[in-house]
Amino acid sequence: MVNYVLRRLLYMVVTLFFISIIGFFIINLVPGSALDARINQLRAQGGEVSYQEIESLKARYGLNDPIPVKYWKWVSGVVHGDFGESFTYQEPVGSLIWSRIGFSVLLSSFALIFTWVVAIPVGVYSATHRYTVPDYVITLIQFIGVAVPDFLMALILLVVASKFFHTGVGGLFSQQYQNAPWSWARVGNLLSHMWIPVIVIAASATAWTTRVMRANLLDVLNQQYVQTARAKGLREAVVIWKHAVRNALHPLIMTLGSLLPSLISGEVIVSIVLNLPTTGPLYISSLINKDMYLAITFLMALSILLVVGNLLADLLLAWVDPRIRYE
Amino acid sequence: MASTAMSPVRGQAGQAEDFVIRVEDLRVEFRTPIGVSSALDGITFEVPRGKTLGVVGESGCGKSVTGLAILQLVPLPGIITSGRVLFRPHDGSEAINLLEYERMGADMRGTRGKNISMIFQEPMTSLNPCYTVGNQIKEAILLHQTKNHKEAKERAIDILQKVGMPNPERIFGSYPHELSGGMRQRAMIAMGLSCTPDLLIADEPTTALDVTTEANILELMRELQQEIGMSIMFITHNLGVVAQMCDDVAVMYLGRIVEQASVEEIFYDPKHPYTISLLRSIPRLGTNRKEHLEVIRGSVPDPYTRVSGCPFHPRCPSFMPGICDKVYPEALHLPSSPQHLVRCHLYNDLNHQEVATSSGDKSS
Repeated sequence: MVNYVLRRLLYMVVTLFFISIIGFFIINLVPGSALDARINQLRAQGGEVSYQEIESLKARYGLNDPIPVKYWKWVSGVVHGDFGESFTYQEPVGSLIWSRIGFSVLLSSFALIFTWVVAIPVGVYSATHRYTVPDYVITLIQFIGVAVPDFLMALILLVVASKFFHTGVGGLFSQQYQNAPWSWARVGNLLSHMWIPVIVIAASATAWTTRVMRANLLDVLNQQYVQTARAKGLREAVVIWKHAVRNALHPLIMTLGSLLPSLISGEVIVSIVLNLPTTGPLYISSLINKDMYLAITFLMALSILLVVGNLLADLLLAWVDPRIRYE
Repeated sequence: MASTAMSPVRGQAGQAEDFVIRVEDLRVEFRTPIGVSSALDGITFEVPRGKTLGVVGESGCGKSVTGLAILQLVPLPGIITSGRVLFRPHDGSEAINLLEYERMGADMRGTRGKNISMIFQEPMTSLNPCYTVGNQIKEAILLHQTKNHKEAKERAIDILQKVGMPNPERIFGSYPHELSGGMRQRAMIAMGLSCTPDLLIADEPTTALDVTTEANILELMRELQQEIGMSIMFITHNLGVVAQMCDDVAVMYLGRIVEQASVEEIFYDPKHPYTISLLRSIPRLGTNRKEHLEVIRGSVPDPYTRVSGCPFHPRCPSFMPGICDKVYPEALHLPSSPQHLVRCHLYNDLNHQEVATSSGDKSS
């Protein structure tokens, strides 16, 4: 097992190395960059000072270097924790991302917990009460949940929240807490703003997961060992939760692998609609503005989360199902 | 020996023998969107205490459903529509009708696994892959016998030893996938016997195993039966196994018991044309190679249609037009041996001791 993990870690490093090369190369293929926009701006202002400034900028960002040299400069920076500088924000990439990633992780974690806490029991109920009225109702809600696009649901909830609950909508804080230091009141304010994005982000995942849980459990309930458990005289609740559900969790665990990267990029549209200070919109704007270092750093962060997430999912799967043992 | 079941002439057989389970007029229906299928159409039989009853028949004749119905575990959309399942515990107390218990209620659950346990056909899938064998055996013991985990573990290891596991401590901590088919079936038997039940329902326990393992398992079951003194209801389609294992035999066809007798009579003096055909379709050592094995013509009819009269008549070699396709035959006790029951119009005339028909001769 330890050998297996070590081997996987080694593969991960190799994978990430290739992703960084290919990603960096592709991002550099696009003509122009965010810097060009600034240079043009400076040119428009004219004058010798500006010309010198342009040259110094070019030198600083290595704009005239060939791609491999640029790549090498960037990688050697990364090793020391320097991810380069954002052209558009004129700030170090590291601090830009860090200031936002907390909210992203918080939001997405809540969404994930919400998804599982709702989807597993509802899916189990739906499977054990197949073809009854509650099952049909749940199924209907599931299809709505899957079919309604995120942004639409966000807008609807915004309207509902402002009309019926009279809460401030959009953003993660009310005005008076926006730049206030952390306090319990501020945490409370954050939570009161969070429910809308959490529900919107979690809605389709919850619907989908409920569906998967139902289908899987129905398969498992037909298995002989479920009958064996009943024949032993166990309570139905024990039969379902101990013997059946554990065997139906595999696909849910496998989705965890792709879930980690979506923690920081998944809520893009919702964040834009709800004006949330998370990383998703930043990533999109970095791609649109050709903000090279910001984009490649995001790309690498997502890749790392993807490979780590997959490793964690594989390990978790081995823990849930003893038949899966890695050599 | 043979039961006094299938009533009309009940009591004639002398003293009512002690039974563990007496099933009376049990009916099970599967109500599906395409129609209603009668899986069990009023069956009556007894399992005598300490004896083994073999239940044989083709696939789909209702053998397994019978076993599941006794434990009220018939899977949906199957429902028990009528009948009684009388269970008499070994302490000699009054018989209880198990069907009066609520399906998932405490009383019914207290009977499952403790008084009546069941083992299934597929040892590969009847153990939960996520838990160790020990965990699954302990579960039943903790439920019915002791709340003490340490004691439960000791008992589990004990019973694993009893079923002939080479290294019970190691097997206790093994997962099902680490064991062979035969070992898993031993583990299942250990689980079934862990609470020393009065009745073990064995639903084709050796069908999925190779013949050597099968012989071992059957031997083991016989030994344990002697030791614990339990009764066994042995569901199978393998007549060879029946000959080895059973005291009495009930032959089922389409949800009905068509013939019931001691194992000797079934093999040496079968009466019902279906039983006779079944016995003839077994290949034998020493018969001529060129001879074709006899088959029962036709196949089991669609379960959603009802066959009028005797359900076997479309396939029966002794079909009598006008009777067999019109009237459903009653269960008859043969005058020559009152415990031999048969549902067939050929034997309607009780005065005739030996009925001469084409199916009367037997090959043995």
